[in-house]
Amino acid sequence: MSISFCLTSSGSESQSLAIRASKIWTITDGVITNGVIIINEGKIQSVGENIEIPEGIRVLDMSDKDVMPGMIDAHCHIGLSLDIFSEMDETVAAVAADMLILDAFNPYSDDVKKALSCGVTTIMLAPGNRNPVGGLPAVLKLDISKANDWVLVRAAGVEFSVMNEALMFDREPTSRAGLMDLIREELDKAKEDKDDGFNPTRDILKRVVVANKTAYIWARNVDEIASAMAIVDEYELKAVLVTAEQGDEIADMIAERNLPVIYPPLLLSSRDKDLKRAGKMANSGIKIAFASLTPRTDLHDLRTSAILAAKYGLDTETALKSLTINAAEILGVADRLGSISEGKDADLVILNGDPLQLTSSIEMVLINGNIVYQRQEE
Amino acid sequence: MKNIKGFVILASLLLLFLSVGTLSGQEIAIKAGTILPISDAPIENSTILIKDRKIAAIGQNIAVDADARVIDASGKYVMPGMIDSQSRLFVIDNELNERRSIAPELNILDGLDPYIKEAPEVAAQGVTAVYITPGSRSLIGGSGAVLKLNGSKDVGKMLLKDNIAVKAAIGVSSNNQSSSLGRLANYSSIREALLETKIYMHNKEKHDREQAKYNKKKAEYDKKKEARPTEKVEKPKRPARFRPNPTREVLAKVLSKEIPLQIEVHRVTDILNALRLADEFGFKLILDKCTEGYLIAEEIARSKSPVILGPVSSSFADMPRLEYRHHDIRNAAILSGKGVKLALGVSGRDGASSKFVALAAAIAVANGMDRDMALRAVTLTPAEILGVADRIGSLQVGKDADIVILSGHPLDSLSQVEMVLIEGKTVFERKDQQ
Repeated sequence: MSISFCLTSSGSESQSLAIRASKIWTITDGVITNGVIIINEGKIQSVGENIEIPEGIRVLDMSDKDVMPGMIDAHCHIGLSLDIFSEMDETVAAVAADMLILDAFNPYSDDVKKALSCGVTTIMLAPGNRNPVGGLPAVLKLDISKANDWVLVRAAGVEFSVMNEALMFDREPTSRAGLMDLIREELDKAKEDKDDGFNPTRDILKRVVVANKTAYIWARNVDEIASAMAIVDEYELKAVLVTAEQGDEIADMIAERNLPVIYPPLLLSSRDKDLKRAGKMANSGIKIAFASLTPRTDLHDLRTSAILAAKYGLDTETALKSLTINAAEILGVADRLGSISEGKDADLVILNGDPLQLTSSIEMVLINGNIVYQRQEE
Repeated sequence: MKNIKGFVILASLLLLFLSVGTLSGQEIAIKAGTILPISDAPIENSTILIKDRKIAAIGQNIAVDADARVIDASGKYVMPGMIDSQSRLFVIDNELNERRSIAPELNILDGLDPYIKEAPEVAAQGVTAVYITPGSRSLIGGSGAVLKLNGSKDVGKMLLKDNIAVKAAIGVSSNNQSSSLGRLANYSSIREALLETKIYMHNKEKHDREQAKYNKKKAEYDKKKEARPTEKVEKPKRPARFRPNPTREVLAKVLSKEIPLQIEVHRVTDILNALRLADEFGFKLILDKCTEGYLIAEEIARSKSPVILGPVSSSFADMPRLEYRHHDIRNAAILSGKGVKLALGVSGRDGASSKFVALAAAIAVANGMDRDMALRAVTLTPAEILGVADRIGSLQVGKDADIVILSGHPLDSLSQVEMVLIEGKTVFERKDQQ
């Protein structure tokens, strides 16, 4: 750990770096065997089989290792200064649109170091699912060495929840119908666009109903997904379904609306029927990305989700995309992240084997070309 | 002449009997690409012969009956059935725990539901046996059993062995607040129960001695009475009656090392307390869960107590509880690296999670555990710790034919289980779906 930190602080991005690797999983452009990646100023300058390494440049010889893009956890709750099961929800007010989850994030928490050791370089830090209108998620890169550079998107769209978890006994709404009514009421107000002075909720929801920012809607069961789709249709929202576990049962309806899905950890399920759902959805043309929902599961098991899904019917190429480029596209950061291609950020994970083998260990992690994690033998 | 005729009839009867015998116990020959016996190094291109539910032979040039069933597993991997040593299969929710805090006489078999639907799915992942214990709510909570997933709906027919170990728990927050005082109370309550058992054993021995003395005197008395009925002889006094106590009887078996005491512990203090108890009373200790074991790995190795570790990843756990606060995914690697005898359990949130045994082993490998040790930790090591290694856990002649055939190495994440046999009977066969 100490090594990685001194490298982080001393590593300057202008320094060039070349990585030789046994296999480069570019994600968008196939697998390159015995290839080279040249990194310059934190970006990938070139990648390929026959690339000449310029004189005098630092070379990382990983010629027996595999390289993949940094993994993206499309929904998690790490680094929040909470005990175990966190209060990531504002449970007093049902509408908490102006709640900025970034305000609760501690970039120096152990969670962040842990995420890096798991090969996760970017996360969507999200509020929980107990508010019908639940605040603003953020997209963060986990190299926190330079002030604020790590915040990719400070307020990425708005979170909604139509799950039963958003219903409480001691706070309205207490029923699904009441919940739907509340969300509609808030969205209507935002749509009306009456200028009646300071109203943070309305201003934030305007981003969703007027400016076409993404609505992240928590919905797990078929009925909840149907409710989410009703709102999406009525307000013509650009939306992403969060969890949507039973989505395979109405996959055609989700695919028809082009709604991507941020899928929960597969290890939260154990029945064969449930383990096959992610694969079925992807095969029906739904774009999926995986989420660890940490602290509900270990960050290490973000990759486990993709591997289990592959074992239960998801094709391996899509499984890898779901950890990288799909997540980048869903979160709107694919111009910088999600694949090993020229011009993208040099966020890389080096493993001692195939990324879709659970037994492969994460040996090294780079963000912006800086080594932020290096595995130590016991 | 008559004798010869009789002999012929007898011989033909014998022959008939023999042929019927082989029909019911038809030989099975598995022609395997790679055999992972676990007890020995891998064997390439060999045959496993199964006779009468047992492994009869393993080797390259084995004579196989003409009418034997031949299973072609060339190019495939063959290994012993895996064991989930921390399963809750067959257990109905909330029926793992009794409210009494000291209840070692309970037997988990009395609380099982053999009709649950998940068992075949678990077997289909190559898991052929599960070890189920009472929960951690009682301080001393009854004994666990190993069951085979042979598809029977009769607990008696699934049972491989019961009364494997008496389950105890120190410092588990689900019942007692996990304050240090609560843990201290756990420790001293268990200690008290063991001390009382010692006194009980002492009293029982004393009583047995007196009873023996009395029996002898009584016999002499009866003899004298019989010989000279009229003579006055003093009648020996019967010792006070001794009431056997079922709780103490079970704990006495623990103290006399007949049954191990399996103690669920998570935090360092609790692990140390368990080791101290074993030192003081000299029972056979199995450390269960052992979440923070990696922090005192050398101490555990020195104690020579085996560990049933789980969950490898906190994702398997029911929910993030206080005990898992310092959970470290490298725990298995560190403990086994220090020479601790270690079995890996799934410790999942439900019964169907037992299917993730191979996955748990793979996660341990990714985080530093030796590959062979990890495979052993889900087969032979749990069999040894649970005292059933004479029957299961490895592919060796004489053991039960509980065998798994896979498309690739069991630690390969994308390998599929092709066939599962339990005592020679096919309990799962993969149909080509794709």
